Amino acid sequence: MAPDVGVLDVVLWGVLPYLMAVILVGGLIWRYRYDQFGWTTRSSQLYESRLLRIASPLFHFGILAVLAGHLFGLVIPMSWTEAVGMSQEFYHFNALFVGGVAGIGTLGGIILLIIRRRTTGPVFMATTKNDKMMYVVLVAAIIFGLWTTLASVFLGGHGHNYRETVSPWFRSLYILQPDIGSMAAAPFSFHLHTLVGMALFVIWPFTRLVHAFTAPLHYIFRPYIVYRSRDRQQGSTPVRRGWSEVGLADRERDRR
Amino acid sequence: MTQDTRAAGPDGPASDALLKLGRFFTRWDETDDGRAVFREGGRKGDSFYRDRWSHDKVVRSTHGVNCTGSCSWKIYVKDGIITWESQQTDYPSVGPDSPEYEPRGCPRGAAFSWYTYSPTRVRYPYVRGVLLDLYREAKQRLGDPVLAFAEVAADPGKRKTYQQARGKGGLVRTSWAEAIEIAAAAHVNTIKTYGPDRCAGFSPIPAMSMVSHAVGNRFMQLIGGVMTSFYDWYADLPVASPQVFGDQTDVPESGDWWDSTYLMMWGSNVPVTRTPDAHWMTEVRYKGTKVVSVSPDYADNTKFADEWLPAQAGTDAALAMGMGHVLLKEFFVDRSVPFFHDYVRQYTDLPFLVALTEHPDGGGLVPGKFLTAADLDAAESSTDASGPAWQGAAGNSPFAGKHAAPEAGAGGDAAGGRADADFKTVLWDAATGAPAVPNGSLGFRYNAADEGKWNLDLGDIDPALSLYGLPGSTTAEIRLPLFDDPAGAGTTIHRGVPVRQVAGRPVTTVFDLMLAQYGVGRDGLPGHWAAGYDDAATAYTPAWQEEITSVPAEACARIAREFAANAEESGGRSMIIMGAGICQWFHGDATYRAILSLLLLTGSMGRNGGGWAHYVGQEKCRPITGWISLANALDWSRPPRTMIGTGYWYMHTDQWRQDGYSADALKSPLSEGSLDGLHTADALAKSAALGWMPFYPQFSANPMDVADAAEAAVDAGTAEDPASYVATELKEGRLQQAIEDVDAPANWPRTLVLWRSNLFGSSAKGNEYFLRNLLGTHNNVMGTDNDGVEQRPVDVTWHEDAPEGKLDLLVSADFRMTSTTLLSDVVFPAATWYEKHDLSSTDMHPFVHAFTPAIDPPWQAKTDFEMFELLARELSRQATGHLGVRKDLVSHPMQHDTPGQLAQPGGHAEDWRGTGIPGVPGRNMPHFTVVERDYTAIADKLLSVGPLADSKGFTVKNVTYRVRGEVERLGRMHGVMSHGPAAGRPAIDTDARLAEAILSFSGTTNGALAVQGFHELEKRVGKKLADLAEGSEEKRITFAMTQAGPQPVITSPEWSGSETGGRRYAPFTVNIERLKPFHTLTGRMHFYLDHDWMRDVGEQLPNYRPPLDMHRLFGEPKLGTTGELEITVRYLTPHSKWSIHSEYQDNLLMLSLSRGGPTVWMSPGDAAAIKVADNDWVEAVNTNGVLVARAIVSHRMPDGVAYVYHAQERTIDVPKSEATGRRGGIHNSVTRLLVKPTHLIGGYGQLSYAFNYFGPTGNQRDMVSTIRRRSQEVTY
Repeated sequence: MAPDVGVLDVVLWGVLPYLMAVILVGGLIWRYRYDQFGWTTRSSQLYESRLLRIASPLFHFGILAVLAGHLFGLVIPMSWTEAVGMSQEFYHFNALFVGGVAGIGTLGGIILLIIRRRTTGPVFMATTKNDKMMYVVLVAAIIFGLWTTLASVFLGGHGHNYRETVSPWFRSLYILQPDIGSMAAAPFSFHLHTLVGMALFVIWPFTRLVHAFTAPLHYIFRPYIVYRSRDRQQGSTPVRRGWSEVGLADRERDRR
Repeated sequence: MTQDTRAAGPDGPASDALLKLGRFFTRWDETDDGRAVFREGGRKGDSFYRDRWSHDKVVRSTHGVNCTGSCSWKIYVKDGIITWESQQTDYPSVGPDSPEYEPRGCPRGAAFSWYTYSPTRVRYPYVRGVLLDLYREAKQRLGDPVLAFAEVAADPGKRKTYQQARGKGGLVRTSWAEAIEIAAAAHVNTIKTYGPDRCAGFSPIPAMSMVSHAVGNRFMQLIGGVMTSFYDWYADLPVASPQVFGDQTDVPESGDWWDSTYLMMWGSNVPVTRTPDAHWMTEVRYKGTKVVSVSPDYADNTKFADEWLPAQAGTDAALAMGMGHVLLKEFFVDRSVPFFHDYVRQYTDLPFLVALTEHPDGGGLVPGKFLTAADLDAAESSTDASGPAWQGAAGNSPFAGKHAAPEAGAGGDAAGGRADADFKTVLWDAATGAPAVPNGSLGFRYNAADEGKWNLDLGDIDPALSLYGLPGSTTAEIRLPLFDDPAGAGTTIHRGVPVRQVAGRPVTTVFDLMLAQYGVGRDGLPGHWAAGYDDAATAYTPAWQEEITSVPAEACARIAREFAANAEESGGRSMIIMGAGICQWFHGDATYRAILSLLLLTGSMGRNGGGWAHYVGQEKCRPITGWISLANALDWSRPPRTMIGTGYWYMHTDQWRQDGYSADALKSPLSEGSLDGLHTADALAKSAALGWMPFYPQFSANPMDVADAAEAAVDAGTAEDPASYVATELKEGRLQQAIEDVDAPANWPRTLVLWRSNLFGSSAKGNEYFLRNLLGTHNNVMGTDNDGVEQRPVDVTWHEDAPEGKLDLLVSADFRMTSTTLLSDVVFPAATWYEKHDLSSTDMHPFVHAFTPAIDPPWQAKTDFEMFELLARELSRQATGHLGVRKDLVSHPMQHDTPGQLAQPGGHAEDWRGTGIPGVPGRNMPHFTVVERDYTAIADKLLSVGPLADSKGFTVKNVTYRVRGEVERLGRMHGVMSHGPAAGRPAIDTDARLAEAILSFSGTTNGALAVQGFHELEKRVGKKLADLAEGSEEKRITFAMTQAGPQPVITSPEWSGSETGGRRYAPFTVNIERLKPFHTLTGRMHFYLDHDWMRDVGEQLPNYRPPLDMHRLFGEPKLGTTGELEITVRYLTPHSKWSIHSEYQDNLLMLSLSRGGPTVWMSPGDAAAIKVADNDWVEAVNTNGVLVARAIVSHRMPDGVAYVYHAQERTIDVPKSEATGRRGGIHNSVTRLLVKPTHLIGGYGQLSYAFNYFGPTGNQRDMVSTIRRRSQEVTY
C-alpha cells in the first residue's frame, strides 16, 4: 500500500463503498418487503405531459448513455482496450465527445424536468421533500461528473487518466481488496464525483429512483395480453378444507 | 395488393422481431396470432386487489340529508371499520321500454363515509364549560338538578356568562349521564316555571330518516312541547299548492318524466340538485321530447336544454303570464280545444260564478266572493234580505247565518236549507239556463246529508265556461290590480266581463275573469285590452313580459304555443319541473300560480307525463300515517303542538322589530282595508287570535295553570267547558296571547332541541338575529331596531330594548361539528346514517328502503332513538316531585282536511279583539283542548304504542285508518310492556321496532289499511276507489323487506296518485280519473281565491309580482353600482354541486374537488365594476349582517346577481370581516325573514293550517347585498 494513503483515504475509499453497498442492497430489500406500493415513479404525467414528453426521454436516454460510458471506463481495463488497438487519444476523444453529449443531454433533460416541476402547480404540489433532496444529489452527481469529464481534457494539459486510478480501484472493490492508493491518487474532482455518486446510491432505495430496478423491459419482448391461471389461494384468505374448488373445468384452456 | 402479405402480427416487423427475440429466450404458450400469452400462476399480486374488495360485511343504508335522491347504498365494513360505500343496483325494474332507477347515487353520497372517522366527528357529549362549572357548583349546593339549573338560568349574571360564550368554543367533554341530566333539568324547569309550550324542538324532513325524526318529535309532543315546521320554513312549500290544489305537495316520480312529451325546467337545476334522476330528463330527449330551460344563469341543466329562456331572476311570473295570454287567446278564444274545454269545466274552478261587488271607493265593480248555495237560498227564501249573513249589521255575530255549524255537520241540515251551503259553490248550467250547485265542493265533504256526493261527477249539468254570448248576459267593466312597477306599487287596469244577475247580484265566471286578467279581449266587452302580442303597454302580453324578463316576445309566444299544442295532441303530457329557484321568493306563490295556470288550462294536471313536478327537499314521507301519528304521539294524547316555523322564528328572534314595512306596502290599489296598517307582527298575532295559524307559547300564563283554572271554573259552574272559559278570559282581556307580548320573559322559548338539523348553519334566515336575540351572543347585525321607520306593531307590545338571550338551553345532537353545535350548550354525539336503523323515502322514486347499522356507533355516539330514550327516562325521573301529573290546555288552530275548513264562511278577516264579535273556539278562535300529561311516565309512553291507536285510529286527510289489528300484531311481534303506566301496550323500544310500527300503520306500506282507507273514502266520494289497492290486502312491507331491497309502495288514499299495476306515479291522477275532488273550496283546482286578504293583497287571480324592492322597504342601496368600488346585487342562495342535496359542505373530498371554502359567484361584468378578480376576497354586507368569501367570477352568471351557495359552514375558512371585525358569517347572515300575510290565512277552505302544509314561507330570495373588494389579508 502506498505510503501516502491516510486514514481518511481508508475510510472514504476502503470502508465507505462497502457501507454504501450494504445500504443500497439492504435498503432495496427493505423497501421491497415493506413498501411495494410505494415502489413507483410517482409519475406526474397526469398533471403535465407536454414538457415531460421532451424532457423525460432526453434525461433517461442520456443517463443510460452515461451509464454505458461509466461501465466502459470503469470496468474494462485500459490494457484490454490497448490490446485491441484503441489508442489513448482515441479513447479520450470518444469519452469526451460521447460522454459530453450524453452528459449535456442528461443535464439538459434534468434541468427541463426541474423547471417543469417547479413551474407547474400541480406537479410542484406533488413534489415531496424526499424528491427535492434526491434532485439535489442527482444533479450534483451529474454536474460533478460532467466536470470531471471536461476537466480531464481541458485542465492540466493532457488531463488525468482515471483509467489508471479510479478504474482499478473500482474493479478492486469487487474482489474485496480495495486499491485505496490508486483512488487516493486521483484528483479532487474525481473524489468529489465519486462521493456524490456514492451518496446517490445510498439514497437510492429510499427515493423514487428505485423505479430504475423495475423498469418493465420484458414488456417489449412479449405479447400484449397475458393470461395467468388462478392460484389455488386467492387473496390473503387461506384455503379451507372441505370444499372443492369452483370452476375447475373453466380453467382448462380450450385450445382451438 | 401489397398490404397484409405478412402473417398477422401484432404491429409490424419491428414488434415481430422483438417478440421473436422474447420467444427465443422464453418458452411460452400463445394464441395462434401471437397476441396473447398464457402463463401458469404468478397472481400473488392480485391479493391486494382481492383483499381490497373483500369485506366482512356489506350493509344496506342510505343518507339522511334532505336529498331527494334517497339512494340506497352498499356500506362496506372490514375489520369493524367502514371502508367505503357504493351504489345499490337492486331497485325493482320500471318495466320494458324505459330506463331504470338504478344506478342511483352521486359523488356526494359516495363521499359520505369520510364523516365516520373525520376530524369533525362529535365523539363525546359536550357541555359549554362555563355552564358546566356553574351547574355543578349549584347542584352541589342545592342537591337537585332542576333547582340547580333553575338558579343558573335565572341569575342574570350567570345567564349572560354562558350565553355570550355560545359560538366561541369552550365546549368540554362530559359524561352522557351529566349531559342528559342538564338537558332534562332545563326541560323540567321550563315546564314547571313557564309552561311546556316554552320547550321547542326542531328536526326537519321526516322522509330522510323517519324513525329518528319520529322519536324526538314524539318526546316533544309527550311533554307538551312545540315542534316547529320545516317545509314552509325552508320556503320549499309552494304555497300555491294548497291554494290551487288544496294539497301540500304531490308530484310525479322522476320516472314519469319519461312519459312527458314536452318538458320544461323552470327554476330547477336538475343535474345538480336531482343528480341520480337527471338521466330521465336527458334520456327522454331521445324520444323526441323537447326540453326547455328557464333560468337566469347558464345553469347546468340549461346545457341539456333544446331552448333556454333566460328570464331575469325573480321575474318568472311575467313570462308565465305572457305565455298564459297566448294560450288563452289561441286555444280558448280564437279556437276552442275540446280537450282543454272539457277539462277546465270539470276539474277547475273556471266555470264557477263570482259575484261582482261595488268597490267602496265608488269606482265601480271588482270581483268579489264565489257565489254559494247559501246566496241562492237566501235570495229564494227572502227577496228583501239585505245580503248574505256576513254583511249583517255591525255587532251581529258573523256566525248568525243559517248555515250549518261545522260541529253540527254530522247532524245534517240544521236550519232548513242545504247543509254547509256557504261552502257549496255555484256555476251556470248551460243545459238548463240556470245556476246549479254541482257535487264536489267543500260543502259536500263533511256533513252526513251529502255523503256520497263529494265527487266531480257533473251529472246532467253542462257548466258554462263563460257567460259571454249567453242569452240574458250583459257586460260590465271591472277593475283589477296590476303590479308591474319594479318598486312594487300597484296600479289599476280596466277590463270588461260578461255578467248576469244571479241571487240578486251581478256575477261572472272565473274564466271570464281570467280572460279579463290576462287582457285577452272579446268583441263587445268594455275596458282596455291588448292590441296584440306586440302591445308592450298592456299587461300580460308577450311584449309586455319582454320588457320585464328580457325573454323575447317571440320566444314567449312560440313556447306557449308549442306547450299547449303538445298538450292538446298528447292528452296533457306537457310537464314543468319547477323548484326552489322560483319558489323561494317572497311572491313565489304568485309565480307558481301563474305557471300552474299553464298546466291547468292545458289539461296537463293529473296526467302521467304531464303537470307540475315541484322538487325541493326530501318532502315525501310515503308511510305518512304511521310516521305522523307516532311522531305526534297521537296514540297517547291529542292534539299535538305544531308550529309554523317561519312565524316562530320571525317573532322569537325579534326580526319583526327590524321589519320596516307593513302589509300596506304589499296591498292592492283596490284593497278594501282588511290589511290596512297591519304590521307583519300584528298579522301573525291576528292569525293566531282567529285560529288561523298556531302560535306558541299560547298565553302569557302557563297553560297548565290555565287548565287548572278552567277546570276549577267548570267545577264551580261558572264556565260551560274549559274552551269557553278560555274564550271568555281572552275576550275579556284577562288572558293574553303570548304573541302580543312576545318579548316578555314569560313568553320566551326556553329550551330548544335540535337533531338531524343544522339550523344555524343552514336554514336560519336572519342568522345574526338568531345569534343576537335568541342566543344572546355576539353577532353581526348591522342595522338597529326599526331604524328610521315609524312603522311599529299595534297589537304586539314594543319593548324599548329587545331581549338578548331568550334560550335557557340549546341542545343539539349531531355527528359532526357544525355551525349549530358550536353554538349549542349541550352537544350529544349522534350516530351517522351508517350506524342506526331507520327508513327513507322520496318523491323521486316510489320505493321505501332502510338504513341499517354497518357498525355500532363509535366512541360514545348514540342513535337519536337512544338519546331521546335517555332524555325521557331522566325527565320522568326528575319530574317526580317537580311536575307529577298535570293538565295542559292546548290551543290549536282550525285544520285543513277537518271540518275546521268550514269555520269561516266567505273568508272574512273579522277580529273578535276590540270588536263586539264574540270569540268562539273553533270558529273565530283556536280550539282549546285539555290534555293530561303524566310527566313521570314520558319514557314509558315514548317506547310503547298508546291506547288511542286502538280506540280512535289514525286519521290523515280526513280518512281514518283502523289500526287495532295492527296494534295487536305489533304486540305479538315485539311483546308488550310488562308493568308501569304502559303495561300491556306493544313495545316500540328500539329503532327497528319503531320503523316496523311506522310501516304497519301506513296504507302505502300496509295493503290492508290502504284498502280500508279507500273503502272509507268511497263512502264520502260515492265513486269506486278501493280497486286501486285491492289485491294488496295481504301485502305488507316489513322493515326486514326494506333492508333486503327498495320496496315499491302500495297505492293508498294518503296520496293523490296511483302506482297500481306498475304505473309511474303522477299526482292527482285519482282526482282526474276517479272524480275524487281536490281538497279545495270548489273541490276543483283553483285559479280564483276570494279570501278577504287574497283580494286585498291583489292576488285573487294569477298575476305577476316583482321581487320586493329592498330599497323602498329596508333602505338598502338601489341595485347597481354606487360610484365607489361596491355594487349592490341580488343575493341568491341556491344549492350547490358540492354540498347539501346531498352532502354537507365541510367534507374534505368535496372541498378538494370544488373551490373549497366560502365563495360568492359573480358575473365578469359585476366583478370588473368593483375591480374584483377571480379568487379575490370580497365582503357582502347589508342591514342583516356580513359575509366574507372568495369571489368566483364566472361567465355563467348574469349581471346583477350573486350566488352564495347554501349552507357554507362557518367551520370552514371563515375569516374576520372588515365591516365588524368579527367573524364573517354564513350565507344566511345576509338574509332575513319576510312574512307574506296571505300565507297566514286560515279557517277557510284550502286556506287552512296543517303542519308543513300551509303556512308562511321563510323565503329569502328577494335579498340584495352590497359587495365590495376587501383587503386580501385575512385573519381568523
